[in-house]
Amino acid sequence: MFLNIGLTSFGGSSMAWLYRQVVERRRLMDDQQFMTGLTIAQVLPGANPVNLALYVGMQIRGKVGATLAAIGMVLPAFIVILLLGLLYRAYSDIPMLRAILVGMAASGVGTTLAMGITVATRFPRQAVPILIALITFVTVGILRWSMVPVVIVLIPLSVALAWWLERRRKGV
Amino acid sequence: MFVFVPLSLLSFGGGQAIVADIQYQTVTVQGWLTNQEFTDMYAISRAAPGPSTLIAALIGWQVSGFWGAVVATLAIYIPSSIVVYAASHLWHKHADSPWRLAIERGLAPVALGLIFAGIVAVLRAAHILDANTVDLLGLATVLGSAALLYFTKISPYLLISLVAVLYGSLQYAGVV
Repeated sequence: MFLNIGLTSFGGSSMAWLYRQVVERRRLMDDQQFMTGLTIAQVLPGANPVNLALYVGMQIRGKVGATLAAIGMVLPAFIVILLLGLLYRAYSDIPMLRAILVGMAASGVGTTLAMGITVATRFPRQAVPILIALITFVTVGILRWSMVPVVIVLIPLSVALAWWLERRRKGV
Repeated sequence: MFVFVPLSLLSFGGGQAIVADIQYQTVTVQGWLTNQEFTDMYAISRAAPGPSTLIAALIGWQVSGFWGAVVATLAIYIPSSIVVYAASHLWHKHADSPWRLAIERGLAPVALGLIFAGIVAVLRAAHILDANTVDLLGLATVLGSAALLYFTKISPYLLISLVAVLYGSLQYAGVV
């Protein structure tokens, strides 16, 4: 059953599919539970749809459910992408395919940009988070520092600042 | 594998956040791929269904065959999955802890900065925009795609297919 959910939700916007299957059709969770899972999936590291599947599987059937749901989510996509990779290797010299791949990469960047803008517009208008986002962008994106040390320093700093700001706001 | 395990643990906010470092590590540090190969794989992983972190599978395959793909995929998913599994337990136990809020708020700006860093890395690898070149058609595609997705409800897969057809015809007509 979990493999089935994984298979049906693969392709397109997998989060929306998962919601439809799990909450609306099969009624395995309620809205509240699903939204909690969504937050966890987004906050923690890892691919969001995979994390969400893991969470849903775990809620429904514990360890086994979580494992099966994650495999169901990754395996079909893994097979498809290897097949595409095979085609790429066979035909990568053809000029038309080259042009198409360049176009697809540009469009893929556009997809990410749209997502980035959506997140940025919902972003709190506060100096500290904006500054942290900018530092992250400049060090990793422009100066090309390795991401791991940058993030290891910035995440605790950012969390501590958020904690401190919240306390100050409450006037504790 | 040693490249992907730390990235898995740091891919806060989804796979988009680590694209910059995947490019840096595999092209610049390890020399496994050329910029062109990286860009092609990025294109494939965006067009294919499923999470875009599967670019790891393509890179693994390029570097050491089928098992390379398997190892890279496991390396990118297992560490983060274990963290999610463990954290889900804690999350429910400490539903009202103020730390939860601080962690949520603290992670968001870092994730946002990384998303934009990833955009720059791909623009550079694809030679759409770097120190020496400005590819106007490529830049127009990036901005046009972003605008369409932001202002309309077009499916990303429909969009990417349309762009593929457009570039195919432009190439056929001898423009690019």
